[in-house]
Amino acid sequence: MTITQSGGAIFKIVGFSFFLIAICSANLVSARTATDVHQNLSSVEKEQPNMTVKGKVTDMAGDAISGVAVSVKGTTTGTITNYYGQYSLDIPVAGKILVFSFDGMITQEEVLDARTDINVKLARKRVDNDETIATELGIQRDKKTLACSIQQVSGEEIMKSKDINFMNSLSGKIAGLEIKKSSSGVGGSTRVVLRGVKSLSQISEPLFVIDGVPIVNRKGIQPDMWGGIDEGDGLSQINADDIESISVLKSSNATVLYGSQGANGVVMITTKKGQDGKTSICFSSSTIMERVIKTPELQFSYGSEGGSNESWSYTKGNYASNYVNDFFQTGSTLINTVSVSGGNNKTTAYFSYGNTSAAGVIQNNKYQKNNVTFQQSTKLLDDKLTIRSNVMLTTEKVENRNTAGYYLNPLTGLYLFPRDKNFDLYKDNYQVFNKDRNMYLQNWFSNDQFQSNPYWIINKQPKEDLTKRVIASVTVDYDITKCLSFQARLSYDFAEKSYEQKFFAGSNPINVSGNGRWSYKKYNDEQTFSDGMFTYQNKFNNVSITGILGANYQQSNFGKGVSVDSKTIALRYPNEFYFQNLPSNVLIQSTALGKLTRMGLFGNAQIGYKEMIFLDLSGRNDWTNALSGQGNDSYFYLSAGMSLIVSRMIEFPRFVSFSKIRISNSRINNDVTYNTIAQLRAANGADGISQSAQNLFVDPKPEKLNTWEFGSSWEFFNGRLGFDLTYYNVETSNVLVSRVSPGSGYAAIYENSGKIRNKGIEFILTATPVKSSDFDWETNVNFYKNTNRVVELFSGNSYVSKDFGASEGYYPVTYSGGTIGDLYGYKFLRNASGQIILDDITGALRKTANVEYMGNLEPDFSLGWNNRFSYKRFSLNFLINAKMGGKCFSQTEAMLDGYGVSKRSADARDNGGVQINAIKGTTSVNKIDEKLYYTTVGNRNGIAEAYVFDRTNIRLSQLALSYDFSMKKLNLPIKAASFAIVGQNLFFLYKKAPFDPELTMSTDLNNQSLDNFNVPATRTFGFTIKISL
Amino acid sequence: MKTIAYLFLTIFFLTACSNQFEEANTNPYEITEESLHQDFNHIGAYYPSLLGNIFGHQIEENLVAESFCDYMATPTRFVGGINNTTYYIRWNIYWDRIYGALMAPANQVIKIADGGGYTVFSSWAKLIQIMGMSRLTTYHGPVIYSNYGSSESVVKYDSEPDLYNKFFTQLDEIQAVFAANKTYVGMNKFDASYGGDVTKWQKFVNSLRLRLAIRISKAAPALAKIQGEKAIADPAGLITANSDNMTISLYGGKLYLSVICFEWDDTRMSAGMESFLVGLKDPRIGKYFQPATDDKVYNDHPAFPYKGIRNGASLVAKDDHTAFSKINESFKTITKRNYLAASEVYFDLAEASLRGWIGAGDAKTNYEKGIKASFEDWGAGGVDTYLADETSKPIDYVDPKYDGVINCFKSRSTVTVKWNEADAKELKLEKIITQKWIAGFFNPNEPWADFRRTGYPKIPTVYKNDSNSDWGVIPQGEWIKRMPFVNSERTGNVAGIADATIKLGGPDNIATRLWFAPDKANF
Repeated sequence: MTITQSGGAIFKIVGFSFFLIAICSANLVSARTATDVHQNLSSVEKEQPNMTVKGKVTDMAGDAISGVAVSVKGTTTGTITNYYGQYSLDIPVAGKILVFSFDGMITQEEVLDARTDINVKLARKRVDNDETIATELGIQRDKKTLACSIQQVSGEEIMKSKDINFMNSLSGKIAGLEIKKSSSGVGGSTRVVLRGVKSLSQISEPLFVIDGVPIVNRKGIQPDMWGGIDEGDGLSQINADDIESISVLKSSNATVLYGSQGANGVVMITTKKGQDGKTSICFSSSTIMERVIKTPELQFSYGSEGGSNESWSYTKGNYASNYVNDFFQTGSTLINTVSVSGGNNKTTAYFSYGNTSAAGVIQNNKYQKNNVTFQQSTKLLDDKLTIRSNVMLTTEKVENRNTAGYYLNPLTGLYLFPRDKNFDLYKDNYQVFNKDRNMYLQNWFSNDQFQSNPYWIINKQPKEDLTKRVIASVTVDYDITKCLSFQARLSYDFAEKSYEQKFFAGSNPINVSGNGRWSYKKYNDEQTFSDGMFTYQNKFNNVSITGILGANYQQSNFGKGVSVDSKTIALRYPNEFYFQNLPSNVLIQSTALGKLTRMGLFGNAQIGYKEMIFLDLSGRNDWTNALSGQGNDSYFYLSAGMSLIVSRMIEFPRFVSFSKIRISNSRINNDVTYNTIAQLRAANGADGISQSAQNLFVDPKPEKLNTWEFGSSWEFFNGRLGFDLTYYNVETSNVLVSRVSPGSGYAAIYENSGKIRNKGIEFILTATPVKSSDFDWETNVNFYKNTNRVVELFSGNSYVSKDFGASEGYYPVTYSGGTIGDLYGYKFLRNASGQIILDDITGALRKTANVEYMGNLEPDFSLGWNNRFSYKRFSLNFLINAKMGGKCFSQTEAMLDGYGVSKRSADARDNGGVQINAIKGTTSVNKIDEKLYYTTVGNRNGIAEAYVFDRTNIRLSQLALSYDFSMKKLNLPIKAASFAIVGQNLFFLYKKAPFDPELTMSTDLNNQSLDNFNVPATRTFGFTIKISL
Repeated sequence: MKTIAYLFLTIFFLTACSNQFEEANTNPYEITEESLHQDFNHIGAYYPSLLGNIFGHQIEENLVAESFCDYMATPTRFVGGINNTTYYIRWNIYWDRIYGALMAPANQVIKIADGGGYTVFSSWAKLIQIMGMSRLTTYHGPVIYSNYGSSESVVKYDSEPDLYNKFFTQLDEIQAVFAANKTYVGMNKFDASYGGDVTKWQKFVNSLRLRLAIRISKAAPALAKIQGEKAIADPAGLITANSDNMTISLYGGKLYLSVICFEWDDTRMSAGMESFLVGLKDPRIGKYFQPATDDKVYNDHPAFPYKGIRNGASLVAKDDHTAFSKINESFKTITKRNYLAASEVYFDLAEASLRGWIGAGDAKTNYEKGIKASFEDWGAGGVDTYLADETSKPIDYVDPKYDGVINCFKSRSTVTVKWNEADAKELKLEKIITQKWIAGFFNPNEPWADFRRTGYPKIPTVYKNDSNSDWGVIPQGEWIKRMPFVNSERTGNVAGIADATIKLGGPDNIATRLWFAPDKANF
């Protein structure tokens, strides 16, 4: 779908918003009356006497709020409410308006008229309405002045999903952010792409930042068509309970101060802090269950013949089917966090301990995590100096993440098992004693590369991944003068990781030696980040100026350690897994996966005129070692943005409360991946040296991202309705590409020759259609559409493609002029009238001579619809996520068909063949033998067209029902308590594919929307209790 | 004070601008060029990897040449039983190995060698390229060679005649360099094949030239004769003793054939091998294979407890045939593999003498020397009895697992071992090529080429022929002729493939004969 075509969809949303306006206007009478009163006041103000006003402040549910600041607008007169929410204030003569403000609530103003009792109900603040927002480097800015798109999600919102990896809970809540969860079960990684894939060598993942400081989110190995296990990422190690809010800085304009690493946007995590004057202890506990939604549609009525591995008998039987569902268990996740926070006006502190333990839907997939977080902030030297420190400690243990792909995957054997055989024999006795070897070996009916005994795999190939991590930072703020301040930060992120898998003797001989196999690696990821910057803030008449000048230095050293994998080389003695049991021809490797040094000098100026026009200018120079030695290691870039608060320039009708137009442009440069440009020469296991036979890349350049963004935000009816529309165009040039061209003389040629364009629209609609004392409805729609185009790949060469994991029937290949995610494959060979051509002699189905285009693996657009209903103390949330358009590919279904175990292969047998519009020679054929059909179309490398499915899916991805107890009435030593029932991924409203395309095999660039015996999607449901003391 | 300390710390980090950028961008666990100069590793250390990539693995070799020349067969129903072995092409990737792991790195090595004036090493690398490419061309026909390394957008293939001419010219150059450096010792440390003995490499160059000359002897008889006679006449001589065999070390790795057979259980002796070796009472059978593990399967010849699987067999369960003969256990511990052995040279000489090439010697002598060399190489006894056998003939094959019809065949061959001077040239050639095929066991490239060129040995057809118009139809009673051009080239080098198809002289499918194996009489 092109941008023009998507206009239709936008029009529908705009239409919907007008519908909402109509609903809202019915509820707006009270607001309008207040404004009217305000306007009529000028005539009476002089008559107003000096007086005392008192009253009570409560929340919408009627509970008193203590500590609310009550002040007279424009004066220094003020007070705070007492424990019972009461206040009393002497009003000076000039006082016109009373302001009630409280953290977390919407500030309310009351016009002073003749009243002496003014009771106020404060509404909970919606995150979207926040006035300030954390921007780059942790700088708090007035959201209205920003020249580019930033979206924020509260910690509370994140907690609703109770996912171990907090990023998964952002799906559908941020326009422009595509999130895919790994199918690897508990402790799996997450694929995060902001505004499309912009590079071919890097994964276009945004930078993750905690309180202004970048953290490491390095992914390990990912599975592919042939197998493998996800090695997780760095995000799951963060305790979601520590998160106050997350803001997503989508445009590189907003992230220019982070330099290259912010080129794909920034996910800015703000953590909870201790609060002045309020000591509170908070305990939260969640219990979540997880169930597989649906396994593939299998048949259990036809078995195998003659001992064949395939179930292609034509004799109908009735075979056991329960073993498939019995293989999956109900998973569970328990998350408990206790936090203590408090402080005085000099020092605040926050401490939390979190414990997570989970079991996946496949036996022995387990997860254990412990988090300790400590934060403090102290003000010194007449409050001019603030020192903050933050320490996060994590230990994480993940056992047996789920596999995907052909090899060593329990699901191949489980699904393909010949139906006439008795599975229980293998389930209970997955190992049998072998007299010849005097040891237990695997018990399975066949020696087949693709299948093993599923119970053997989950019991006798144990994998354990351990991470110990510390993220520590210290920040110093010093107010030099009233206008000038200095901040310096230092942070250290260190993780020790180990991955170990033991494969016992008797495992599949394709992958494991007869004495077993040991795969082990242990390495450290280390990153030091430091920066220092001066901030100048001043206001001259109508002009406000904020200027930042700073520098940072960052050093990362990833993957330094040791790695060994004996693969099929026999261990010296069976089933002993350590170094001294390795034979001499197993290569033990010292590893260094990336060492980067980046430095930057940056400056930013924001100039505001009359709170109407804001101009934002940034510049940065980077030095990076990834491009060193070639003269391109230092590069400078700029960004500029402007925002116009139109509602302050033009008198709009009263229902328009706010309007802004923004435009920005940034030109950011991105370095290339570590060690790309060097000639690699490594000692191999075969008494020699292997050399990467690539061309010498003598002139590497940084990739250039040129981002244009235009946006406009509007709010109506005092913020009851609002929308934000953004159009962006990101053009990456100098894209690093490596091409394989057998004739070139090199195994690979590196060039900075690519050009990729991503343009898209983000539309965010927020509305409060109903707002009354008891009942609120807040709704929020995030629409996102990205159009990716690879304008150019290689210069002047006919090998014009880039492959994203092509294997078997699945060819995700992009050509010059194509799109990342283009899927090719063999189609049915058809004649001009569309009939499938059968082979003249054998009658087999023919396929096209070459692979042909079959669609794109990315959706046309995404839609998230988030709702919150609150009635008194109840609140109900639901989120509907939709991915519209695009294709996905199931190699699983191809295999199930080829093996005759799919339900459709049995249906065809029941029906005596497959209906087909085909031609053999000159004879039309309308029915074909099902075995001939499915064994040629299915299995491996058959006719891919038959296994390409529509990716469109709409789901209820989140549902939460919560209740806030009224503690005041209960007279317990508890400040607040709430109970919530939460569910994730509950059901599909629409889905055509036989698997969940949003559950990804791989979280890197390759193998997208591919299913090859991935663990099926799951739904979760459970409850959360939260108590504050 | 603490504050100031923090400030200083930060400033320190800010100003600690590293001057060692380049060093930081280098993986410390990779070998630097400087370090590699020690012991001259910068030139020699790449050769094991180059040589190690000449032979293929399961899907490059076993499921192509090794199956098509009927050495090994599979009990496994790969992809529902419709695959390369039944003439429906699923795997075709030898090309990738040759270009990615041999041609490209060899080119770099040639540059290093030329740059440092190491002419012997340069010639050695070029020779290794020919060793690989002369195999690859027997798969596809035209390949990229003279234009290799071109920056043109369309890289054109060499026609087969051009390719062989180029090989011969290069062999002239290589031999000249070797001849001028007979006592060069630089290769000693790096050469697992001949320990750096240049004179042995010279013999190999001549023997390779002879192999290629014989290969094109029907397609270009005049050129073949010139080149063959040149090889024979070269003073450095040919490989005429097993001690001079050109072998490639496994460099600590396992023999693929052994992995596929013992670890994956995916190969067994072929029915063709059973038919010839049992029929001709060949003592080498016990050196090549293990007896079948189920004594019922060889009821038809209990004296020879071996059983093979028909190539392109109709299969039901894998277990049906896993009791059949595996390769000999000794393959598990083998450390090197013949690329070109003395026996092949003798058989080439025998054929050369039939073709009247000067210096080839007597056909009978060469034929018998070839068989003797093979027996010696395999450590088999009883060669004299074998050579004298004029009655034993290849036997018919029965698949004991099925109904007595499926997979069975009547031997097309009635060849015997004993040389008979009175035989017609055609029969003599059949004997020579049949023996060359037996001797060449587990080195299937040349035997598959010989079969397509001469029609010998008279191996059975595949039982199950799934060829169709997707990859080309092989008529019943016929055999596969070649492998199609690879998919990456079909889609990535469209113009190059169009040109190559013209040079191929027929459609790019498995039924088009290659130039070296024309459809005409052997004499």
